Amino acid sequence: MIWKIILFLLISFVSIAGIAFPIVKNPQAWYEFPNIPGLEENAKIIFFHVPTAWLTLIAFLMSTVFSFKYLKNKNMDDDAKAYAAAQLGMVFCILATVTGAVWAKFAWGAFWSWDPRQTSIFALLLIYGALFALRSSIESEEKRATLSSVYSMIAFVTVPFFIFIMPRIMKGLHPGSADDTGAGPIVNFQMNSSMLFIFVLSLIGFTILYYWMWQVSYKSVIYRDKLNKNLIRG
Amino acid sequence: MESFLSNNSIYIVMIIVLIVWGGIFFYLLSLDKRIKNVEKEIKNGEQNEK
Amino acid sequence: MISKAFAVFNKDFHSELRTRYAINSLAMFVIVAISVIMFAVGQEKISEGLTGGLFWVVIFFTAMSGLARTFVSEEERGTSLTLQLVASPSAVFSGKLLFNIILVFCMNTVIALLYAALFESFVIKNYSLFFFSFVLGNIGLAISSTIIAAIISKAGAKGTLYPVLSFPILLPLILTSVQLTLFSLDGTSIEDAKFELAIVVSYDVIMLTVSYMLFDFIWKD
Repeated sequence: MIWKIILFLLISFVSIAGIAFPIVKNPQAWYEFPNIPGLEENAKIIFFHVPTAWLTLIAFLMSTVFSFKYLKNKNMDDDAKAYAAAQLGMVFCILATVTGAVWAKFAWGAFWSWDPRQTSIFALLLIYGALFALRSSIESEEKRATLSSVYSMIAFVTVPFFIFIMPRIMKGLHPGSADDTGAGPIVNFQMNSSMLFIFVLSLIGFTILYYWMWQVSYKSVIYRDKLNKNLIRG
Repeated sequence: MESFLSNNSIYIVMIIVLIVWGGIFFYLLSLDKRIKNVEKEIKNGEQNEK
Repeated sequence: MISKAFAVFNKDFHSELRTRYAINSLAMFVIVAISVIMFAVGQEKISEGLTGGLFWVVIFFTAMSGLARTFVSEEERGTSLTLQLVASPSAVFSGKLLFNIILVFCMNTVIALLYAALFESFVIKNYSLFFFSFVLGNIGLAISSTIIAAIISKAGAKGTLYPVLSFPILLPLILTSVQLTLFSLDGTSIEDAKFELAIVVSYDVIMLTVSYMLFDFIWKD
């Protein structure tokens, strides 16, 4: 119970700090953020957009890990866990795409410009979509679990390629990418310590939130299956 | 107070975000409780069968 | 195992020769797709970059229209159980993969020849680079589409799901291959394209190992 209260306070604090703390030229007090040329007030997106993208990856990783576990042990609970993780990953993937696009409209002038990061998140969106299309097309439970596990493992293998290919093929606009000239890699050195601190807090807070949502979600899937089986038997 | 808020509208955004977050949080809390109740019920049902 | 794999390949090859289903549908699809592009282009003169991309658009959709046959036809004819009894999963996969690789090579050679004949801006300046990227890209395409075809054949919906599932898996390969095709149209030397070639090689190797590892789970249910 106590960690739920901590989570509530953590994300409340992050939203207060992320939205209301002023951005000034020369930060003096602990609650002032540095002004990053090219981003200005837009830089505050980092407290809300980056965690969603981070959770997308975490969810994808977890989904793959539990898929692997399912293939090893053939335990339906692992499939429910993988499925719940993928569902949450899809939600956060959409959130990351949309928030990023809205931000890009005002930072780069267009909603979508096939920046490497945008393309990779688009690929993730396609993978999640394909996974759910596959799941919905199969009736038999075990077959569905096996095939979707296999597919998510194949899809997971392709992800590292995007990291290597994208920067070669497309020019980077995203803050933090290698040839970024306009906005500067804010992640590396332009954040001051208080901004970095709140950023890390926000990552931690959102990860706990994800973990909680994932627990609720996979439990509901497991119990639904259990109740269905009881209905058939009884 | 009112004039302060209308001059610094970012604080209104902050309050709204906090309210939305509170709503989501308490919804999740109630969902969690409901799941726990179902868990208990299923466990009791299994024991009764045995 | 190798002889079993060849036996599976032989069986597929002969049944294909008898019906000529895949070859006919692939050939017609290539002609239809290229003529649609020709109509859309009209009298415009399109740039090199665009032809390189369009080349892979046609290859992708042609592959999606024909390559699922190998496994789906087994399920349709109800012969997959017999195949399970006769050969080990890796032998089945090897046979099917070999068949698909040959199919992809025939299909893409035809597409490349048609492109060279019909599009003025599709002039290859560096033949050896084009050859390497063509061979490696085809192998990668065949591997990924074979394993996805195996998944599809076990799933309920067959036709529409195939491109949906294949596209994210093939995306790294297609992006790199488009880039390599552009390089060969530009006349870039192989030295400069080393990085892209390395990516395609590693894609092929990784996909091959993953497919062999995971095919057992798909095949035995």
